[in-house]
Amino acid sequence: MREVTRRSAAVLATGTLLLSACGQGGPSDDGGEISNGKVVLGLINDQSDVYAELSGENSVEAVRMAVEDFQEDNPDSAIGEIEVVDADHQNKPDVANSKAAELYDQRQADVILDVPTSSAALAVANVANQKQKIHMNVTAATTELTGESCNKYTFDYAYDTYMLAHGTGTTVTEKGAENWYIVYPDYAFGQDMESSFSTAIEEAGGQVVESDPTPFPNDNFSTFLVKAPDLDPAPDVIGTMQAGGDLVNLVKQYNEFNLADKGVDLAVGLMFITDIHSLGVEAFSGVTFTDAWYWDYDETNRRWADEFQERTGTRPSFAHAGNYSAALQYLEAVERAGTDDSDAVVAELEGYEFDDVFARNGKIRAEDHRVVHDAYLARVKEPDEVSEEWDYEEIVSTIPADEAFAPVEDTECEMG
Amino acid sequence: MSVRAASTALRERMDGAGVTERAMRARPGVRWVLLAGGLLFAVALPWLMYPPIAFDIACFALLAIAVDLLLGYTGLLSFGHAAFWGTAAYTATVMGERFGAPLPLAVLAAVLAAALLAVPVGYLAVKCTGIYFAMVTLAFAQMIFFVANQWRTVTGGENGLVGPPPELFGIDLSDPFLFYYAGLPFILAGIALAWRVVHSPFGRVMVAIRDNPSRVQALGYPVHRYKLGVFVISATLAGLAGGLFAISHGFASLQEVYWTTSGKAVMIVVLGGMGTLWGSVVGSYLVVQLEYFLSGAGFGEIGLVTGSIFVVVVLLFRRGIWGSAQHLLRERVQRSRVPAERRSRPGRDDAEQEGSAP
Amino acid sequence: MVNVIQQLFNGLVGGGFLALLALGLAVIFGMLRVVNFAHGAFYMLGAFGAYLLLTEAGVNFWLALLVVPAALAVVGMALERAFVHRLTQLDPLYNFLLTFGITLILQDLIKVRYGNQSQPYSRPALLDGSVNLGLFQYPSYQVFVLGFAIVLCLLVWLLLTRTRVGMIVRAATERPELTRSLGVDVGRWVTPVFGFGIGLAALAGVLAAPMRAVHPMMGSDLIITVFAVVVIGGLGSIFGSVVAGFGIGMAQAVGNLYVPALSQTLVFILMAVVLLWRPTGLFGREGVLT
Repeated sequence: MREVTRRSAAVLATGTLLLSACGQGGPSDDGGEISNGKVVLGLINDQSDVYAELSGENSVEAVRMAVEDFQEDNPDSAIGEIEVVDADHQNKPDVANSKAAELYDQRQADVILDVPTSSAALAVANVANQKQKIHMNVTAATTELTGESCNKYTFDYAYDTYMLAHGTGTTVTEKGAENWYIVYPDYAFGQDMESSFSTAIEEAGGQVVESDPTPFPNDNFSTFLVKAPDLDPAPDVIGTMQAGGDLVNLVKQYNEFNLADKGVDLAVGLMFITDIHSLGVEAFSGVTFTDAWYWDYDETNRRWADEFQERTGTRPSFAHAGNYSAALQYLEAVERAGTDDSDAVVAELEGYEFDDVFARNGKIRAEDHRVVHDAYLARVKEPDEVSEEWDYEEIVSTIPADEAFAPVEDTECEMG
Repeated sequence: MSVRAASTALRERMDGAGVTERAMRARPGVRWVLLAGGLLFAVALPWLMYPPIAFDIACFALLAIAVDLLLGYTGLLSFGHAAFWGTAAYTATVMGERFGAPLPLAVLAAVLAAALLAVPVGYLAVKCTGIYFAMVTLAFAQMIFFVANQWRTVTGGENGLVGPPPELFGIDLSDPFLFYYAGLPFILAGIALAWRVVHSPFGRVMVAIRDNPSRVQALGYPVHRYKLGVFVISATLAGLAGGLFAISHGFASLQEVYWTTSGKAVMIVVLGGMGTLWGSVVGSYLVVQLEYFLSGAGFGEIGLVTGSIFVVVVLLFRRGIWGSAQHLLRERVQRSRVPAERRSRPGRDDAEQEGSAP
Repeated sequence: MVNVIQQLFNGLVGGGFLALLALGLAVIFGMLRVVNFAHGAFYMLGAFGAYLLLTEAGVNFWLALLVVPAALAVVGMALERAFVHRLTQLDPLYNFLLTFGITLILQDLIKVRYGNQSQPYSRPALLDGSVNLGLFQYPSYQVFVLGFAIVLCLLVWLLLTRTRVGMIVRAATERPELTRSLGVDVGRWVTPVFGFGIGLAALAGVLAAPMRAVHPMMGSDLIITVFAVVVIGGLGSIFGSVVAGFGIGMAQAVGNLYVPALSQTLVFILMAVVLLWRPTGLFGREGVLT
């Protein structure tokens, strides 16, 4: 062991020398300026796996739109050049971890945006904290980013499991569906959703008759669907926390068992507009879920969505709009701070209140770096209500920003 | 090819290392020059490339060497080494995160965890031979995957587990450039152990089991126990690699225990050359670099490339890179030392042409 | 009680898929000594084949049920001739690795074209709704799948026991050395049998399309379970594969009900138990696997 230590100590010394010679070591301490003479916005997301359509390359385009809009609005900006770089993490946390280090170190990224998949997001947040660079997460669902694993340099922008569960659980219960049967995939995301959902239902005066974990991944849900109508009391609604392929399986089988005719509705914990698009509106029509943003909500959204469609050929998801907004808010914070030094920018972001195309009544909470904004309860339209492509959602109600996310008093975040 | 030719190929293969060794002994300098060159390259690597990738190469090289001990030297294809790599990755991260264990202790715990897991899995798996062994190891690894997925309090489930920034005796190693040099000695020790095993009497028995298990059994060797021994050693090395990998990334996730990781290790071995040890190092360099390059180039369908590598190597290039180099070297040495008539012995070319079995 | 029976019924439906896949795997293994890793990929291609025919050519489910397996069987035969055949004289591990590589390629080819999102495929209109099975109501389509799987297994069984080809295949599968030493020309049946096995996998895929998510990775996790099923049944035994397939399906459904946390590991635990008790599988024989 001593041999090893001595050797590595010697090597360490050499390494340190080399590093300082190259001048790469340590964060820049020339606060008050733009490092490297430019601001670099980095995106890490899934460009080849399940979330490629939800976010993917089109989010990079959305960030470019934000850069252009920012430059248009701030012609005399202190920020000179703005560069956008991106990397594909293929939905693998290992890759996300390496890419984050690479983006920060080698490509001089000042902020990393997007990062779908909770495990990848937590990995990137960890890198951000170590390197003292900013990460604004848009597409990952875990509340851990603003809970136990929170850190000074990480912000959670668009949504989380609490928002999804509370939005749907509370609203649907208040509309009269009091008895719930919950099925959830037995892994971190599903378990989080289940506990948030149950709390929301009970707070709204409903009850969870039963709650069953299912294998993940799973392609046969008959076990659970079969027993649903026989529960006592009979549930008014099945709350499913499945996502992606599993959700598709479950909905297919829900229809097969004709549970709707037996008076058992279906509420979905996590659903994206891209899911509806890929399976067709018939598969989901009538299903209730919570969305962070919808392109056809109002005139502002629609105008932005038109511009987005011109550039990408498709309608934006909440992730695209969220990345646009996060990039814009970051750039404006840099503008206000007059530097891209991370600590200064964090100070500008904390407590900031704003409104933009994505975030209505937006506020960046200083306590846990949760970005709160209005959320929306949506119902999937019936096929005959659809008037154009991507016209899938009817916004049933708006959930105000201060109710949409977990109250700040409950946070487990201890900002170091 | 006749069955005879195939078994000649097998024997030939078994001699492969021996022949090269002889060639090297003929020129004693060669081995040392190669070894020194290899070490120099290993030490220089983070200067030549992005340091975290350099360390990934080292970790996957050791994982592949572990797989090669079974595949190339004992004739057992393990498609489940992700189980050991991943178990060690979680153990190392938990040790660091929960108990604040220093680097060497975390690595030690990781290695032990992998070895402990290998005993029951190996005990059941070595009851099976041939392709059966591959299926059983794959199945057990999948089971470990599901366990890791469920056991959230320890593994973090789908969210993964974030570890503390690595440090050694108070020196902060979160700079991957420095960590490379802290981790490299462990990797080199692992490789040295593998080399030692292969070149010991134990290693000779391994090769004999690969080529003719019934004969070894008849000679009175407890074949099952030998196989189990190799299995545990192999899993231990995989654990060493996996533990270091997780510490270097400060992170362990389900990816570590998924079958794709096992597949990647097998691919590295096959590409580098089965039964060569050093081939795994070359294979790891190429595969990790290739994946890194492809993901950087925005090419997401890595399976198209890795799948094609599998198909091409298995169909046309069964010796792998190192094996082919060895083969060329061997031919050269033979040409210069062995009389011409022995070289052109009939049947031999045929056997060589068809390549050899693991 | 009714509940348990209903769960067992669910298990049989799920088991039908496992049985069809295990059956194809076992037949191929029997004739070629090849464990076809790509079996799951062909199951996936079967489902995508049905989807493709429906969306591109408007071909309905019933026709797809015939056309897709036949077409993929031909693809399988070509694959056998072009690649697998070259390696059958070598260690079986090479073919395992080859088919693993082919799996990666096929999955990503589909991914390039269709992405990783699930594709929609609706039930045939004839089988919409549910039927009364006396004790409970059950979706017609799933009843059909179960019936179809059972009939298919029986047909294959008849084929294997009542025809000359079948007897050769069975003999070659269960007593390879003996068959060869009796001078039976096994070689000419190798390619068709490989195609037949692939066809079965594709058929399972078409059957899965209306009730399961159609996406590029749908086969890759399933195939590992099928491996465990085959190990439990005995890799050399055609009968064992089918029985184990249905058995594991039921075990999983009951597991889902009583110990959901274990339901996924259950099949592997059963495999471990079987390995301890009978290393060659429940219906396997010594010597088939070396």
